[in-house]
Amino acid sequence: MIGAPAYRLGERLLTIDNVCVRYDRPILDGVNGHIDNIRREGLQQGQVVCLLGPSGIGKSQLFRCIAGLQRPHSGSVRLNGAGRDVQPGEVGVVAQDYPLFNHRSVWSNLMLAARRHGRDAHEAADACLALLKKFGLSDCGLRHPMMLSGGQRQRVAIAQQLLCSSHFLLMDEPFSGLDPLSKTAVCNTLIDVSTSHELNTLIVVTHDIESALRIADQLWLLGRQRDAHGEPVGGASIQETYDLAAMGLAWDPDIESRPQFVELAAALKARFATL
Amino acid sequence: MNVANLLRPFTPMGVGWARAIVAVQVAAALALWSLSGCRTLPNPAQIGAAWLDLVRHQDLLAELWTSVKVSLLALALSTLAAVALACLSTAPLFMPLARLAAALRFLGFAGLTYVFMLVSGDAIVLRVAILAFGMTVFMATALLADLAALPRGRVDHCRTLGMQHWRITGELVLLGKADVILDLARQNAAIGWTLLTLVEGLTRSAGGIGALLLNQNRYFLLPGVFAIQATILAVGLAQDALLAWIKDLACPWGALDKESTST
Repeated sequence: MIGAPAYRLGERLLTIDNVCVRYDRPILDGVNGHIDNIRREGLQQGQVVCLLGPSGIGKSQLFRCIAGLQRPHSGSVRLNGAGRDVQPGEVGVVAQDYPLFNHRSVWSNLMLAARRHGRDAHEAADACLALLKKFGLSDCGLRHPMMLSGGQRQRVAIAQQLLCSSHFLLMDEPFSGLDPLSKTAVCNTLIDVSTSHELNTLIVVTHDIESALRIADQLWLLGRQRDAHGEPVGGASIQETYDLAAMGLAWDPDIESRPQFVELAAALKARFATL
Repeated sequence: MNVANLLRPFTPMGVGWARAIVAVQVAAALALWSLSGCRTLPNPAQIGAAWLDLVRHQDLLAELWTSVKVSLLALALSTLAAVALACLSTAPLFMPLARLAAALRFLGFAGLTYVFMLVSGDAIVLRVAILAFGMTVFMATALLADLAALPRGRVDHCRTLGMQHWRITGELVLLGKADVILDLARQNAAIGWTLLTLVEGLTRSAGGIGALLLNQNRYFLLPGVFAIQATILAVGLAQDALLAWIKDLACPWGALDKESTST
């Protein structure tokens, strides 16, 4: 096994404490998790957590709770050790359809987000220009979102959320329906985002185990407990976490060529069936 | 292009072909109309003569201008009222009010005109009020249906950008639906012209092209009736083209949206 890159854990960035959501039946039942700041010498190393789970298990509900868009019926989600629940707007959200305002140009979409943190127009414009350049969208500013390709639209949606959130970005199924080359491009974009600021923290909801293993330093498996007959009972919770950083499987550009990658991917697929 | 393709649904067609088809069909219709010898319907020459007579002796253009002013004023008021109702409907307290306004589209004008007459006291105000009412209820219905189809994700997206309450309404309804509002205004303008004869018939003394039409109809002056109908049709189509142009100018994304969903 190749030696794990050196790192240490710093302050707590996000705490999910016993989150429960129930409607006519329990959806989420005692979800717990936390994300700590990962420090690597000489690098700006952000955090990437991938949340894996079968369809209909409650990923979207947890997604909305972490984004502050929905209050859990009990429990809490807190950022940066704050004494209050997360508020809408503190966590950037990139939904599966890459929401943007179609009635605004790309530039206007970004400026709308950039003006949020009390930036004046000049500062906001500088921030937008920097992100357009970073994401290779410099010539797209005057276009409307309908004129963008899927990949461009995704990058604009990420840029918009980065401009207004406080380093947290939630992404829902960013690899859905993509060909292998496009998946690699999205993986590279997400790695790029996560390494552009020490505190940047991505939480990616996905079914795509291979892509998750390529970008994540932690995996959370969301599922339900099973009774003696193997039937699912109660709401969903984090059934298992994989600390890929500790396992030496994080931040490796050639991870797919390593036997551990293949073994873990196979193990996760098998585990998926029991979630 | 193979001529047989003209009978096949969804066959792509060039602009030249489209124009040629329209030209041939219009020419054929006019020829059929002129040569049919039908005594019930006036022929194009009779209608043209009647139109000139109406312009020269019955102030057709002045009456038209009177009606255009009423129609435009009612269109503006109804658009404002319907948009206000749509915006208010995003707050739970006002949703019943908006739904009630939309439900009023089933009401006829009988009885209502008497109430409007008592309230307005002036013929032009009465016309504008009735027209605006008639148009508002239809536009509110369409706008509410459009808002009902707004995915929750759109509201969530606004919230992730730190927007709250009425700011979200402003972004999603006023700005986001501007193209829909202008499209509905075009439909409303057409509804307005169809209601105009009815409304102007209530107060014929105040003039208007609708009153003129009713007078011609009363004495079975069919060439005059058709001449006025043709005038209303031409003005309506011109107004529609103008509103479409304004919409394309103000909301260029509307056309992009259609292109992307049409593929």
